[in-house]
Amino acid sequence: MTGDPGEKQTETDDGAPAISARQLRRTFKGEIEAVRDIDLTIARGKVFGFLGPNGAGKTTTVRMLCTLLPPTAGSATVAGLDVVRDAAEVRKRIGVALQEIGLDPVQTGRELLQLQCGLYGITGQRGRERTEELLELVGLTDAADRRTKTYSGGMKRRLDLATALVHQPEVLFLDEPTTGLDPASRMRIWDEVRRINAGGATIFLTTQYLEEADQLCDRLAIIDGGLIVAEGTPEALKAEMGHDVVSVSLDGADHAGTEAALRGLAGLERIVAEPDALALYIDNGAVAIAEIVRRLDAEGIRVGAISVARPSLDDVFLRATGRRLEGTGQDPDETEEDQG
Amino acid sequence: MTEVLLLGRRAVREIARYPEATIPALFIPLFFLVVNIGQVSKTFPSSTPFLKGEGYAAFQLPVSLMFAVATATTGLAIVTEIDVGYFDKLLVTPVRRSSIIFGRLTADLVRGIGGSTLVLLVGLAFGVSIRSGVGGAIVIVLLAALFGVAYAGFGVLVALRTRNVQATQSSFLLFFPLLFLTPNFVPFERLSPVMETLARINPVSYVIVGLRSLVIDGWKLGELGVCVAVIVGLGVILTGLSLRVIATYDR
Repeated sequence: MTGDPGEKQTETDDGAPAISARQLRRTFKGEIEAVRDIDLTIARGKVFGFLGPNGAGKTTTVRMLCTLLPPTAGSATVAGLDVVRDAAEVRKRIGVALQEIGLDPVQTGRELLQLQCGLYGITGQRGRERTEELLELVGLTDAADRRTKTYSGGMKRRLDLATALVHQPEVLFLDEPTTGLDPASRMRIWDEVRRINAGGATIFLTTQYLEEADQLCDRLAIIDGGLIVAEGTPEALKAEMGHDVVSVSLDGADHAGTEAALRGLAGLERIVAEPDALALYIDNGAVAIAEIVRRLDAEGIRVGAISVARPSLDDVFLRATGRRLEGTGQDPDETEEDQG
Repeated sequence: MTEVLLLGRRAVREIARYPEATIPALFIPLFFLVVNIGQVSKTFPSSTPFLKGEGYAAFQLPVSLMFAVATATTGLAIVTEIDVGYFDKLLVTPVRRSSIIFGRLTADLVRGIGGSTLVLLVGLAFGVSIRSGVGGAIVIVLLAALFGVAYAGFGVLVALRTRNVQATQSSFLLFFPLLFLTPNFVPFERLSPVMETLARINPVSYVIVGLRSLVIDGWKLGELGVCVAVIVGLGVILTGLSLRVIATYDR
């Protein structure tokens, strides 16, 4: 699955892409292939979503693009600069908020931002002004003189985001910026992402939340097992499905028997078995429901609810990987061997 | 240089905000000083030839100074930063990786000056007089603090290599043999042959001897020169290795 090819063409029209990766690979000890020869081209000024479950290779990709981890093979450029050869220059142009919130717990929010400004050469009055701007931007002015260890998860995430913005980076990497946050904090981060993007920054956002990808991203790639298995705009990826999705809740009915009864339906592309349900990818779901009910009735199969929906990113993910993303749970922090 | 100062200021601020990390480390050298003086001062009265008219406290003071400044605090601070993710945050900024270490070592210098000044003052309270005078006392404090900076490189090295809090904490245990396989209780000549051999190949011995010479003898440039050379050598080797490890961290 590649999404819409026309969109890809425009990405390189405005000069060097914000991010480009060619055959990018990272292998860890024990021949564990975290990222396998991925290709990416991300236009400047876009929000690019990198969607995948834990261990898929998201974080490893981000760490390579941020110069924290050298690729085992392949190459990548960020802001037109090679991430290995020009690592120091790349670091001046990127902002990074990693999955693990990187804050010094002993410092106050204000001290931490002032230090971060200083590390980017923004010192003195300019540094103090920038600090105040950012505290205001992320709504932490009132908590600025408290040590960061006293902050809530949402406040820490917002401060971490602010530290990534001190130098107004060309490219901002956000690695699962809303994981573990409550819905209100998540919405607030989304607003920040939109605002930062509106200012011209390219955003590379990894997430395991489909809704987040759908809401924020101009374009996205799905990564699974270190491979990019789908790429395009959310709309194009959903449109490529070309079908309605009819969900049949089995409610204890036999998987195989129900599937056999439904095979051969007009317009049916495929049936995907899920725990206690079947997902039917079919041309016209609304019309098909009557036939589904008739067939099940004729076979004496009693099922639960039958619903029809337009394809979602979850369906795109299911088709690309053979399993659903949401509800896979949240694994503990990734180790070097399985970071993703 | 600016980035070293910025990171150093942060690390020094941390000392002030976490006195509980520094105060216990100062308790041990003061405890040793008091206990050793109490136990041995009658065995070695000031008439003992190697004391040259000084009390035993003067002989022991440099050992307590070593104890006060040699800590794994910086290694622990780095490994904690690795744990909480702030280390990665620093690595992804445009600062030189060496600045992250030098910033931390700045705090060791400040901590070392504070700790050795305190131990020296306690020594003075026990009747120690510094033969090399006020200038010598300042040099003692500075050399002790610089030894602390040099030795901190070992904790940094363990922290960066293992990325493990327990291993970094345990690294401090190495200092016990380094401190006790020295002429810490008596001069080289009064040690058993085996202990003397071990003490003579232990570089920490020469730091103690150098500092002791400032307390008991005055300005003995030969011993002081060896002391400075050992501190500089130790610093160059341990800090150099740490810089090498951080330069290749995750590479």
